[in-house]
Amino acid sequence: MHPSRSAPASFRDRTNEFRAAVESARRHAAPSPAAASASGGGGGPLDDSLSAASAQSEFKNRASRIGLGIHQTSQKLARLAKLAKRTSVFDDPTLEIQELTAVVKKDIGALNNAVMDLQVLCNSQNESGNLSKDTTNHSTTVVDNLKNRLMSATKEFKEVLTMRTENMKVHENRRQMFSSSAAKDASNPFMRQRPLVAREASDSAPPAPWATDSATTPLFQRKKTNGDHGASSSSTPAFMQQQQLAVQQDSYMNSRAEALQNVESTIHELSNIFTQLATMVSQQGELAIRIDENMEDTVANVEGAQGQLLKYLNSISSNRWLMMKIFFVLMVFLMIFIFFVA
Amino acid sequence: MALSLRKKQLDLITRMLHLNQQQSSPAGGGEGEEEAYKILVVDGPCISLLSTVLRVGDLRKHGVTLHLNIHKARQQVADAPAVYLVRPTPANADRIAADAAAGLYASFHVNFSTSVPRPVLERLASATAASRSAHRVARVADQYLDFVCLEDNLFSLAQPRAYVSLNDPAAADADITSVVDAIALGLFCVAATLGAVPIIRCAAGGPAEMVAAALDARLRDHLLAKPNLFTEAASSSFQRPVLCLFDRNFELSVGIQHDWRYRPLVHDVLSLKLNKLKLPTEKYDLDDSDPFWVANSWSEYPEVPKEIAAQLAKYKQDVDEVNQRTGGGRDGVEFDGTDLIGNTKHLMNAVNSLPELTERKKVIDKHTNIATALLAQIKERSLSDYCDCEHDMLRKGIVDRKTLFSLLSGEGTKEDKLRLAVTYLLSFEAPPPSELEQVEAALRESEVDMSAFLYVKRIKSLNTQFSAAPSTASRNSIVNWAVSAVTDGVKNYLSDERQVALTRRVEALMEGKPNPEVDNYLLFDPRAPRSGTGGQFRGPFREAIVFMIGGGNYGEYRSLIEPGQSSQPSKHVIYGATEILSGVDFIQQLAELGEKAGLGSGSSNLPSQ
Repeated sequence: MHPSRSAPASFRDRTNEFRAAVESARRHAAPSPAAASASGGGGGPLDDSLSAASAQSEFKNRASRIGLGIHQTSQKLARLAKLAKRTSVFDDPTLEIQELTAVVKKDIGALNNAVMDLQVLCNSQNESGNLSKDTTNHSTTVVDNLKNRLMSATKEFKEVLTMRTENMKVHENRRQMFSSSAAKDASNPFMRQRPLVAREASDSAPPAPWATDSATTPLFQRKKTNGDHGASSSSTPAFMQQQQLAVQQDSYMNSRAEALQNVESTIHELSNIFTQLATMVSQQGELAIRIDENMEDTVANVEGAQGQLLKYLNSISSNRWLMMKIFFVLMVFLMIFIFFVA
Repeated sequence: MALSLRKKQLDLITRMLHLNQQQSSPAGGGEGEEEAYKILVVDGPCISLLSTVLRVGDLRKHGVTLHLNIHKARQQVADAPAVYLVRPTPANADRIAADAAAGLYASFHVNFSTSVPRPVLERLASATAASRSAHRVARVADQYLDFVCLEDNLFSLAQPRAYVSLNDPAAADADITSVVDAIALGLFCVAATLGAVPIIRCAAGGPAEMVAAALDARLRDHLLAKPNLFTEAASSSFQRPVLCLFDRNFELSVGIQHDWRYRPLVHDVLSLKLNKLKLPTEKYDLDDSDPFWVANSWSEYPEVPKEIAAQLAKYKQDVDEVNQRTGGGRDGVEFDGTDLIGNTKHLMNAVNSLPELTERKKVIDKHTNIATALLAQIKERSLSDYCDCEHDMLRKGIVDRKTLFSLLSGEGTKEDKLRLAVTYLLSFEAPPPSELEQVEAALRESEVDMSAFLYVKRIKSLNTQFSAAPSTASRNSIVNWAVSAVTDGVKNYLSDERQVALTRRVEALMEGKPNPEVDNYLLFDPRAPRSGTGGQFRGPFREAIVFMIGGGNYGEYRSLIEPGQSSQPSKHVIYGATEILSGVDFIQQLAELGEKAGLGSGSSNLPSQ
């Protein structure tokens, strides 16, 4: 029973002493018949608590499993965050990150369901059973605690994802810088006809004008190449033009897709903000309450109750005065009545 | 040991809350770590101990769902382990045994806040054996946590009225011994939490010597058993701290003085208890989590409103900036459709900074309310005049008769006048009798209860009769010793130095150079062999624990900590007392002593506690 002494042990374990004292007390107690009855008596309350305990222990098992799950998920999140922080342009562990992200997402979904189930179980137990108030408080607090932990894990997950998308944008920009210079040279011959080509890809202008333009560009290009059909000397430049066309089309599509993605992510961020606001509003200020807060309140309440009782007592006694006054007045009237009549 | 006392206590409490198991390292190795959700059951004194270091949110973080009072009727929570943290009294032991018999919780981890005496342990054992529930008790441990840590370097033993008990002329020997033992046990807890065996120094005679002897005996007994609480720490801490024990009689004036700084004012005027402040309308917490408090609590009162105004201006500026950036002033900023991402970024920053801004506003509001409440009291009682007058008397040794008498007959509560009069008494070794009579007459006119004043006067006058130095530590000589100590303290103020006498002594003790003031201080070293005289280590020390028997004070705390922080290399001083008294409370204790000595004026002006 001795705790390992490698950690600074600034407490003294008296458990062995206690067990020894229990043993000696038991030996001093009355011999076997009393011991048997005592053990029978001890078994009684044990049975009662066992049935309640079995219902409770399922709750406890589930809660501890969920707790373990949350702990493991946060460890995975820590690994994910480390991976996402690596900002090299070319050595991007995309596959690994995506795998881990999928795993974490699944875990969080499963944990969410488990917590919901646990809440349902807790509610049903609290309403149906004849459990004590302390037990219901304990169960609800356990569920709240698990929900809070899950929520913080989810928030962390969102933050890691936003960081990841930002890093991806940075990578994309750098890639654009490296590759768009080549694209710009290729597009120079078409500069006069297609001024829109050189537009910045990461700009989030609405895609509509691009869509129509890029739709027309291949047509126009094809018409142009069809026009140059006959000349064989121009076929190779036409072929080259077509290749460059294909590259440009791809880059148009890519940049359009990126623009779409940007808008999508912006909307996501906005929704994040709104959920954040909602959680901020709903998060109760339990974190900052002092432990001895209720102690003073109960004292104040008791004193308040006492004051109320005293006031009531006063009002009762004052009523007595009122009654006496009324009685006196009645007596006076009676006297006058008797005096005049008699 | 550069760690603060509070952090160490918090670490121990946390480990206790995790059922005294090995703290698993946060990085890796979480396999199979099952967090059990526990119930915490405490008694009154232990709740005070916990409330200054932990909040409900922290408890939840450590997996505690409910915290209950041991004496309240509690109900069954069948599947949760329960952690008990209580004082080792027989009543608590009975209650625990009753709980175990009723099977309220799945397992019982019983922690006593100090060492549990053998009889109580046996009582618990026999009770649980009788009800066949001893198997439910998973662990019984002594925690050595029985002190309230108000700040990083400030602790209190929460033993009220120790001064009265020790100086009571009618106190029985047994009472005094029990008080001394309780103090020694508390100091032992502090030493155990820090993990270091201190070298004890104290002035000869009086309660300090008794406490030192008791503590020394206790430490020696404990060190005989190996392994003990101090074995691991012995190798790590090369430097042992010095524990300086002082008695309140050494310097009475600090205990009753009016202090003009923010924190002592709040403690004195608004009665700050356990870092908790209760105004008629609101309740506030004042501790290290409040940045304004940490930065400004030692400045003089007039600067506090200025600082509040400055913070408020800065806050308004920040709020305006946030509003502007998020398009609050929309006429000036046109909604640029292409800058969607920039706008949302600004919005997100604004949303993230909202909690911080609301926090700042709350802190500013809180201190505005506190400062306003203080101002009302200060104006009513003209406390600034009291502070100035006392300061002049104590530091410069001059007295402005006009202000003195105008204050005595003017505004201010009865306690204020009494404190001023006693300070007058203490600042001059031999005040002219005519003036003294005038002071007394003025006091009587204001219907002030004279017990405290007469008590201090008597102690001072007794000194002229007792010239021999006190030798034995018996009850009578406490009074003798108190008498000589009081006049010693008075002499200290006639010197020019700004430092409080206590600080000078502590510095001398820490430096370890021969110094006439502290050379005749006794030295106890629990690690040294009892018989040998070898190796009496007198310093220099880098760490010191200063303990004031009879009641400490925020002003004293500040005067001790300040020089330590500024000197090179930084010296670390921890200050503690049997309780942290405000001037009002201390003067009441003096008055009580005066009444017990039969010096009361007979009028029932003594305010009830």
